[in-house]
Amino acid sequence: MKQQVYFYSKRIIISVILISIIALNSCKVTFIPSYDADISEQIDNTAKAVDKFYLSMLETTSDENDGRAYEKFSEQYVNIEVELNSLLNKNKIRPLNENSTRICEITIQLLEKYKQEHKDDNTLSDGLVKLNRKTFCDLFYAMQVAEKGKEIINNPPK
Amino acid sequence: MNFDINEVLADMLSAIKDIVKDNWDEVKATANQFLQRKKERLELLAELRINGELSQEKFESRLSDEKLVVEAELHAIAVISKAIAQKAANAAMDILEKAVKVAIETAL
Repeated sequence: MKQQVYFYSKRIIISVILISIIALNSCKVTFIPSYDADISEQIDNTAKAVDKFYLSMLETTSDENDGRAYEKFSEQYVNIEVELNSLLNKNKIRPLNENSTRICEITIQLLEKYKQEHKDDNTLSDGLVKLNRKTFCDLFYAMQVAEKGKEIINNPPK
Repeated sequence: MNFDINEVLADMLSAIKDIVKDNWDEVKATANQFLQRKKERLELLAELRINGELSQEKFESRLSDEKLVVEAELHAIAVISKAIAQKAANAAMDILEKAVKVAIETAL
């Protein structure tokens, strides 16, 4: 009888421990999604496209004689907006990704604002080209810091 | 216009420090990088206003855009903080899991 009680007690203990292990395994804490190398690459490519857009404008055009009329740049604005919208959608569909999504929304909001300014004034001074370039450069840097930050989950910073 | 960029940046740095507290060492380099970039933007913005390339209206509009850029930068810092917290929490869970496994081996 004693042996039977001991046998059943041991089985119960082992069952509880096994259930605990299964529970612990399914109990990983998740605050942010994992790092996505494709998104990181797309951020880099979009950042380069925007940088090239403003640097080319600065180097090859002038705000005199309608050299920077909006129409001459409208297609490039569309290309950049397409890339940014794609990045926004990719960020939006990932669960727990509200920080990266918001950075993307802010970038789109400012691009639309500066595009509208360009459209309204039908020109852009050298100073504003430099300021816009710097602003977007810094926003893409924040976007990339956010994506790379997710690598910390698996690889601590050295 | 009385605007001391260095004072503004120092205040911002101390605000960030207050928010991230425990993770300050991990986000320090990134926060400093953000503030250095902000300094360059604000210097350019001030220069454009002083030389008349920006009207007062546009200058104020650009200053309000800076709030959005700061928001974006704080979101990036938030990701780093969350990643550190996630890693720490899961490391603690791993230790508990290993302890339970050892307990099983002993019981068997």
